[in-house]
Amino acid sequence: MTSHILLVEDDERIRTSMRLALEDEGYEIAEAASGEEALEIAAQPPGGQPFDLIIIDIMLPGMDGFDCCREVRRQSMVPIIMVTARTDTHDVVAGLEAGADDYVTKPFEPKELAARIRALLRRARATEGTPSSLSFGDLEILPEAGVVRLAGEEVHLTRTEFLLLCELAANAGKVLSREQLLERVWSYDYFGDGRLVDVHVRRLRTKVEPDPANPHHVLTVRGLGYKLAP
Amino acid sequence: MRLVARRTRPDGPSGAPGSSARRHSRLGLRNRVTLTFALGSLALSTTIGAITYFTTRSSILRQAESSIANEAYANATLLRQQLGDGVEPTRILTEIDESALTQSALWIDGRWVFIHVTLREASLPPDLRRFAIAESTPAAEVMTFEGVPSYAVGVPIPAAKAAYFEVFSLAPTARTLQIILVALLTAGAVTTIAGALLGLWASGRALRPLRDVSQAALAIASGRLDTRLEAGDVRDLAVLASSFNRMVDRLQQRIERDARFTSDVSHELRSPLTTLAASLSVLEARRDELPERSKKALELLAAEIRRFQRMVGDLLEISRLDAGSADVDRSVVEVGELVRNAAAVTGATVPVDVDPAAAGRLIAVDKRRFERIMANLLDNARRHAGGATRVSVAVAGQSVRIGVEDAGPGIDPTERTRIFERFARGTAAAGSRGAGDGTGLGLALVAEHVKLHGGRVWVEPGSPGGARFVVELPLLEEEGTEEGEARAAAAVEGLEGAGGQPPATLATGTGGRGR
Repeated sequence: MTSHILLVEDDERIRTSMRLALEDEGYEIAEAASGEEALEIAAQPPGGQPFDLIIIDIMLPGMDGFDCCREVRRQSMVPIIMVTARTDTHDVVAGLEAGADDYVTKPFEPKELAARIRALLRRARATEGTPSSLSFGDLEILPEAGVVRLAGEEVHLTRTEFLLLCELAANAGKVLSREQLLERVWSYDYFGDGRLVDVHVRRLRTKVEPDPANPHHVLTVRGLGYKLAP
Repeated sequence: MRLVARRTRPDGPSGAPGSSARRHSRLGLRNRVTLTFALGSLALSTTIGAITYFTTRSSILRQAESSIANEAYANATLLRQQLGDGVEPTRILTEIDESALTQSALWIDGRWVFIHVTLREASLPPDLRRFAIAESTPAAEVMTFEGVPSYAVGVPIPAAKAAYFEVFSLAPTARTLQIILVALLTAGAVTTIAGALLGLWASGRALRPLRDVSQAALAIASGRLDTRLEAGDVRDLAVLASSFNRMVDRLQQRIERDARFTSDVSHELRSPLTTLAASLSVLEARRDELPERSKKALELLAAEIRRFQRMVGDLLEISRLDAGSADVDRSVVEVGELVRNAAAVTGATVPVDVDPAAAGRLIAVDKRRFERIMANLLDNARRHAGGATRVSVAVAGQSVRIGVEDAGPGIDPTERTRIFERFARGTAAAGSRGAGDGTGLGLALVAEHVKLHGGRVWVEPGSPGGARFVVELPLLEEEGTEEGEARAAAAVEGLEGAGGQPPATLATGTGGRGR
């Protein structure tokens, strides 16, 4: 099955060259030149088949990449990759806060981007070997059904947040380092960006913790990593 | 304000121009002011003391002399009366001497009457004798009698053809004067010390702005460009502070503009590079369909685009480091694991020898930056020396030394510092520049990253030949015990707030930071 990807990029040359390169990798690409156009296309995808992944450039005219990302997130849990021109903490963290699952920095090799896409898509399809139901106090996780409930109410998590929670839940009580989480949730190698984990943990807390500033489930173990309170 | 240009005279023929400046600077401005104050108060107290002493001395002496003279006249009058009454001279003299601290003698009609063993005719000054006896004139003279300053008075008694002599001891007066002298000397010493202290305090106060300026300048030199002087409430100093701050403002603007320019240029290059990279990969996927000549051209294109990409990446990295906006994302890891992983990620197959003493030791590093360090060093070895032959990890004091060895031609001693500069290429590579695919920034970035971690890097000759690049980074204190882990965690906590600055506790390796 061919994966369906929406590419949001205002620079026509970059867009075209990226489309060509990604098509070579075997993906089906739809293009959008602005955030507004991207939202329209995402709402009514060609052929009625929803996108498997969206790539958004941060620097867009009009609605910028962050807003576009937030709008998409509001309606869908689809994996999002941000394309940034800077590796500064500000842009990266802002992109992740807006709901992106991962990011690449210009100029990137198409192979690097393809590897990120593959990792996110592969992940999106496989959540196996975990028990069908886990519960931690008022937090209930159904890994197979992809459902999380807090005090009986369903919580909407992105794919990354969900996988992060499942990974912590499968090792409840044990500390997982940022590196371990990067490897297991993002399929990153040893030298991944620890900010990915930090920002996603923060976002996860806003959804599964009654008081995110004072977490009871997802705990920080100073200097070592994160753990889920058993 | 007068501007004084600093002239440097390297190896001047005379060789002496710096000597006087050196002598001055050795004493120090503050010490000089203190010394001046001390000498000033010493001179002042000496002058005042001397005047006081001599005035007091002469007045005391005058007083003593006049009272002695009065007493001598009174005694002479008494003597004349009693001689007239026919009293034995010896008895009169004994009576006189009993009532006072004096020794008396009488000359009467060519005969001397002494009642003391020590006082004899020769003890009295000859002038005094001559005046009193021969010229019948009263006289007085200061003399030394029995080693004690004394005042001798001679009073003629013409009625009895006699002359009365009296020797008064001035010892009590001398003691009084001595006490006054000691008091004055003590006061002088106290004044001098007080003057020195005042000088010390005043110069400290006066020089404080200078010290502030120098501290601010040091802070600015070490990269804290937001350092400014406080205006203070003294007008002269406020002028200095405001002109200093204006200078720093300009400097900061200039530095930021330069850094921004490099950064902007690099950013502008990113978009076309993205297109180039993507288009290149499309072309490369169809490489086999191309005719031979096009294939060759594609290879050249690919090599240059990749190099261009690396160069922009390196430029951005270095401009971020220059701007001081590099964020160091430290985590605590085991040294051996770190080096092995970093070497593996670069794809180089090189043996990593971890010394047993280094095994299990922890280090707080930004792993991404460390990976860049290793990648650049291995890349450098690959490009100039046919690849690294060995990576060694060993402990040296409180640091770990990571050595990347190769079997290449080695580095000329004169080149060993220069190769860490930007766009510096070894002389061996200069001739074959056309084949190089380096960015010229690799080793410079290594040096910057290492510096950011409070370590240092250098190159030395390898043991069987070739070159060994050594990266020395500070280790965390303890081994991997529980306590060590806790401290390591605490260290990372501390580091998180520290941003780009390596913390003091971790920055003190065995050597300095610079090369």
